Amino acid sequence: MSRLRRLYEGLVTAPSFVWLTLLFLIPTLIVFAIVFKPADPYGGIGSGWTLETLRSLGNPNYPAIIWRTLWLSLLTTAFCLLLALPTGYYMARVDKKWHNTLLLLVITPFMTSFLVRIFAWKTLLHPEGLIKQALVFLGLVHPDATLLYTPEAVLLVMVYTELPFAILPIFTAAEKFDYHLVEAARDLGAGPLTAFFRIFVPGISRAIATAVLVVLIPALGSYVIPDVVGGPNSEMIGNKIAQRAFADRNLPHASGLAAILTLTVLLPLVVSLIMQTRSAEKHPPILQEKA
Amino acid sequence: MSEFLEIVNVSKHFGSLCAVDGVSLSIRKGEFFSLLGPSGCGKTTLLRMLAGFEQPDTGRLLLNSQDITPLPPNKRKVNTIFQSYALFPHLTVRQNIAFGLQVQKLPTVEIDAEVDKMLALVQLEAEADKKPALISGGQKQRVAVARALIMKPQVLLLDEPLAALDLKLRQKMLLELDLIHDEVGITFVYVTHDQGEAMSLSDRIAVMNHGKIEQVGTPAEIYEAPHSSFVAAFIGDTNFFEGEARELVGKEYSRLTIEGFPDLVCFNDKNISAGNPVYLSVRPEKFGIGRARPVLGPNHNIVPGKVEDIIYLGGMTKYWVRVDEYKIAINQQHNRFFLDEEPIRWNDDVWIWWHADDGFMLERYSEADENLMSLPPESVGEEGTPG
Amino acid sequence: MKRSRLPFFVTLGVLLFFYLPIVVLVVNSFNASAYGGHWEGFSLRWYLKLMGQHDILTALENTAIIAVTATLVSCILGTTAAFALHYYKSALQRYHFVLIYTPLVVPEILMGMSMLLAFVALGVKLGLFTIFLAHVTFCISYVAMVVLARLQDFDMAVIEAAQDLGANWWVTAWRVLAPMLAPGIASGALLALTLSFDDFVISFFVAGPGSTTLPIRIYSMIKFGSPAVLNALSTLLLVVTFTLVWASQKLTSNKGEAL
Repeated sequence: MSRLRRLYEGLVTAPSFVWLTLLFLIPTLIVFAIVFKPADPYGGIGSGWTLETLRSLGNPNYPAIIWRTLWLSLLTTAFCLLLALPTGYYMARVDKKWHNTLLLLVITPFMTSFLVRIFAWKTLLHPEGLIKQALVFLGLVHPDATLLYTPEAVLLVMVYTELPFAILPIFTAAEKFDYHLVEAARDLGAGPLTAFFRIFVPGISRAIATAVLVVLIPALGSYVIPDVVGGPNSEMIGNKIAQRAFADRNLPHASGLAAILTLTVLLPLVVSLIMQTRSAEKHPPILQEKA
Repeated sequence: MSEFLEIVNVSKHFGSLCAVDGVSLSIRKGEFFSLLGPSGCGKTTLLRMLAGFEQPDTGRLLLNSQDITPLPPNKRKVNTIFQSYALFPHLTVRQNIAFGLQVQKLPTVEIDAEVDKMLALVQLEAEADKKPALISGGQKQRVAVARALIMKPQVLLLDEPLAALDLKLRQKMLLELDLIHDEVGITFVYVTHDQGEAMSLSDRIAVMNHGKIEQVGTPAEIYEAPHSSFVAAFIGDTNFFEGEARELVGKEYSRLTIEGFPDLVCFNDKNISAGNPVYLSVRPEKFGIGRARPVLGPNHNIVPGKVEDIIYLGGMTKYWVRVDEYKIAINQQHNRFFLDEEPIRWNDDVWIWWHADDGFMLERYSEADENLMSLPPESVGEEGTPG
Repeated sequence: MKRSRLPFFVTLGVLLFFYLPIVVLVVNSFNASAYGGHWEGFSLRWYLKLMGQHDILTALENTAIIAVTATLVSCILGTTAAFALHYYKSALQRYHFVLIYTPLVVPEILMGMSMLLAFVALGVKLGLFTIFLAHVTFCISYVAMVVLARLQDFDMAVIEAAQDLGANWWVTAWRVLAPMLAPGIASGALLALTLSFDDFVISFFVAGPGSTTLPIRIYSMIKFGSPAVLNALSTLLLVVTFTLVWASQKLTSNKGEAL
């Protein structure tokens, strides 16, 4: 009976297992292998092996870019958390009948085309765009200042695209949270902020961890956002990978950068996996938008 | 009395765990038969083997003299009511009930007629076109019953069908199940951990523990003549006293010594020989209690004690009387007008007595079973709940 | 007890933040001016200009073909994966789960880059087919997770109930299992379709010089094209999205919770 069961298990598992091994696992491993190959003058991968590519990764500009990637991603995560916590809290607290509507309101922008949303911000932040006009009108910025092509613009748009992913897990957990605990804290004399940070936040700590991972990892790999609304001083690893791959047509070098990015993402990735497999509650992981 | 459903020396292991250990039962046609026991005793596994969802490691199952052991569940003339009801969520009540007949490919006209009859039997005509999500727990159970009964099974298996319902609903559905059984007349095998359900519904009960049958009998037999201390404690309330059997007195009685008690006499139908450690089990309602020492025949046991706790319940009073290190639970019914007698008060010295026939000597229970049984509470307010 | 109003205001702010760019975009698509800063009167000229762009229509066609085929294949693979993960609890399934889960959390650029390298190293010609392969790869995980969640809510007793009532394997699968799973698989399919339509980064990496999808086209328009025409295109896409979201909401609320 057990042999038969193993056979059935093998048959059911095989299709997805094989496909993902061939088209996901092996390519990821290939990334690390290609780092040791030379670039082909026509933009492909040369033959033989070399350490030259590895050496070229020692580019003095890179540490700054890596640092900026980390820094921007962490800031994005922080801002997302800061906004998602009160929002998730509020959404869970309103009358049940509004839950669906609010959820819909939050999710719908995220269902629209990712590129369209980034483009919308490009327009808004344009030197002749609305926001610039408004800020000049309010006397907050100099008429010659550019909002676009700055790290701040990248940060803004990253927060914009990642925020729904932070709100969702926090809202889900907030819905299940027992608010009597907060009321008990208030009853014992705590103010609203104290109760929020000492009772509510620890109570949904798992959801917060999920939100952090779900924002941080895609942020680290951001490519389109810094590419469209960022400038030369807001480059992130993602840009550089694309630049090396397409503009410079140096695949092994791009591969090296991709390997670095993979290593950067590895730690939060492993944490995320452990959290998932330990998860007693069966939640599907919150969906990741392409960044 | 035909032995209609026979379980012959059936065992089932899950890895190293023995769920059912050499169980044999004979269930009669048309009987309401219950498998009663604490969780993990093997009753559900046994039921699932009857249904065909588990295969016994050893032994056979015979239905109407036919060996059904190798048959898969869809080929047995046996139907199950699942604990979660397992109604098909994408089908209406009517479609759920019709399912089994549709599988048999009966003509639609016939199916409709049978379904209508069933809907009338369980009084769900008004809900016929609703999906399960829109009906109540009690209604879901009735759909499950109708869906099974329409198949005209030879045996209906019920797996703790009332467990998911609240108390009031449970009592109502209990009566309904009883009525349905009377009306339809087929054999019911009912699994439960609730002794109240088993006692009120069953023709006979099999009490199970650790995969074995402890005792089979009518509710009265099980209650009044338990074969083991597990059964004595699992069903209803009782008092246990640790003692040692002594020599026989007359044909059927033995003397018994219990520390702190005068010499006692007890009915000995198990031929327990002198020197063996035993428990004496006497149920609370078998005692008499009073201020004056009564004058009674030789087979009565009379013991002095002190009243420690009293709960007055109107129709009866519960006393807890201390005798040496025991706190004995005694239920006294008030058959006569109670107000002008002098009631027994807290701290009174009283005499308690019982007839030797009303006590049982049983072997001592194991420590593992102690949690499962209702033992006299240490103080008022700590009523042990049965089963 | 005085409740703080702060969460409410933050939520309001967040929602305004979400919709502001979208609203501005839509309004601007009707703006006669080519640059969004000033309103120069209502106009449909950008939509008309859009209609004449054949390359966009080709890109749309490609995107649609890939989306449909990728959805089909990933639904099959994702559903089998969900079954395997749900029913079997072995070491194999632990690896299987890691394989399924990881694509959900790695940045897209890594997936795009690794697949590009694999294709180049193996000499596979880049084109619509490689885009198709890439899309299936990332969609499997989403479909698997959605169907898995559905399976976990499944009361397995209904399968036993069907057998108890006389159904053999085939009847049980067809009349009980499939209808109960259908909504879950449909959800997964819808998700895969949406993701495939909208995918840019991975497609960009594995697309060949001759093949383009709508998102790739939009990207080049963002970088090099006229923003006004893009406004019009974007507005149309937004309308489609909002309609789909509204429609799916209607569908799920009308069904009357299938458990």
